[in-house]
Amino acid sequence: MALAQIATCPGQFQHNLDRHREMIARARAAEAQLVVFPELSLSGYLLAHGTLEQAMAIDDPRLAPLLDASRELPMLVGLPLREPAGGIANAALLLEDGEVRGVHRKLYLPTYGMFDEGRYFVAGTSLRPVDSRLGRLGVLICEDCWHPSTATLLARQGVDALVVMAGGPSELDLGDEPAAAGRWRWIVGATALTSVRPTLFVNRCGWEEGILFGGGSWAVDARGRDLAGPAPALEEALLVAELDWQAAAHARTLTPIPEAERFELWCEPLDRDDA
Amino acid sequence: MRELPAVHAELLAGALAAFLAEELRASGLAGYVVGLSGGIDSAVAAALAVRAAGAGRVTALALPGPTSAPASLEDARAVAGSLGLALATVDLGAPARELAAVLAADGDRVRFGNLLARLRMIALFDRARQLPALVLGTSNKSEILLGYSTLFGDSACSVNPLGDVWKTHVFRLAEQLGLPAFLLDKPPSADLWAGQTDAGELGFDYAEADPVLYWHHEQGLDREALVAAGFAPALVDRVLLAYRRSRFKWRPTVVARTSASCVNVDRILPRNPER
Repeated sequence: MALAQIATCPGQFQHNLDRHREMIARARAAEAQLVVFPELSLSGYLLAHGTLEQAMAIDDPRLAPLLDASRELPMLVGLPLREPAGGIANAALLLEDGEVRGVHRKLYLPTYGMFDEGRYFVAGTSLRPVDSRLGRLGVLICEDCWHPSTATLLARQGVDALVVMAGGPSELDLGDEPAAAGRWRWIVGATALTSVRPTLFVNRCGWEEGILFGGGSWAVDARGRDLAGPAPALEEALLVAELDWQAAAHARTLTPIPEAERFELWCEPLDRDDA
Repeated sequence: MRELPAVHAELLAGALAAFLAEELRASGLAGYVVGLSGGIDSAVAAALAVRAAGAGRVTALALPGPTSAPASLEDARAVAGSLGLALATVDLGAPARELAAVLAADGDRVRFGNLLARLRMIALFDRARQLPALVLGTSNKSEILLGYSTLFGDSACSVNPLGDVWKTHVFRLAEQLGLPAFLLDKPPSADLWAGQTDAGELGFDYAEADPVLYWHHEQGLDREALVAAGFAPALVDRVLLAYRRSRFKWRPTVVARTSASCVNVDRILPRNPER
């Protein structure tokens, strides 16, 4: 699988599409079987009300070149998805064999500090795996992964791997790497270990509207070993990770942590009258 | 005593240069224009622009007024020389005197200083239009928080790489970027009248003010907590007074909203849409 860490520009669709085309070519040259792009990869992140201009319906003709390319190389791309009944989701699409084969809508929209996603997007309402030719994937978008329930729920639905598509901004006030890089290593590493699933973290890099995105894309196996990366913080990069489904299944057999999850414990304190 | 955290100057310089490169790419313009005062802020901003775009795409102007220290022009030449920039001089002495006379402002050094700062802005934006280029901002975070700038004068720019960088850290950037050493020893000054220094006007220097500002503005300590942390009460009061009084400069304009499509309220849009 290829992890395409790109720098996008909010509102410059053609520029962003070119970034996809270049990475698709590189991923094909590397003989990858799937290429994953970051959150909102086609539109850029800091769109604010520009979300309305950039949003695409699932049958938007602007997706045609990528659908064509998906016949040779399936891909996960991020975009503001215009819903038929109104509203725009922060979504990931699996494009495969010239079709949209799967959709994940971001569940947790950060709306605090510098984030304002709740102002422009509607949150997804369910968490289901996305089935690709390669296997059953659990797709999470950025903040989704900061809620440990998501990876556990996907693990219990039998995903082969987790894919975290991120647009993670960073400060530069914490040592010799972007401040967010260390946080993401904790989050992604813990996600892989507690779900016992290979986990691919594909983050944005570059600047948008004065906001820096921290890169550091990384692939890690179900027991915490590096499969690829981390990528550099500030530059675009294509990482290729070799995933071994058999080894992952073996790890789950030996370490069945999500299978032991007791969901009733999550509900019990919330169901109490004094909660 | 609570201190300002250290900065990793190499990481910061690389990231800020990448910011300027992306803003230039996204704007589609030819380069940057910067006023070199002979001081450290404009030198660091110019050095970042040279790193981002190359010296051939950075236009440096010296903008002396009738009361500028002659040494400033020599220092600006030294900065330009160290960066491989040609320095064009636009002498604002005659127009400043003439405009001051028309406005009857020549007896008031603050009004005259503001007038000169705004004439520099006019010269920079005029050259930017001609090239066409982006005007490079040079205001740092400390002076923005303290309001130590002329509204629509030295604070006016197209993009600003230093507006979230403490003055204390601007010195570390200057070292990292290999700028002439004399910049580190020079007392910060707007150079709007003879003998003017930032510390003389503010009543404290940036090495004193930056930790107070950091622990208040970023970490949320109030006056009492700052004093309890060991900062001198008189320093805290002076810094916090300037910090409160300058708020109007952070958002220089307020538009009366009369519709559901008020720009920057109901329609916050990316600065560089597809051309």
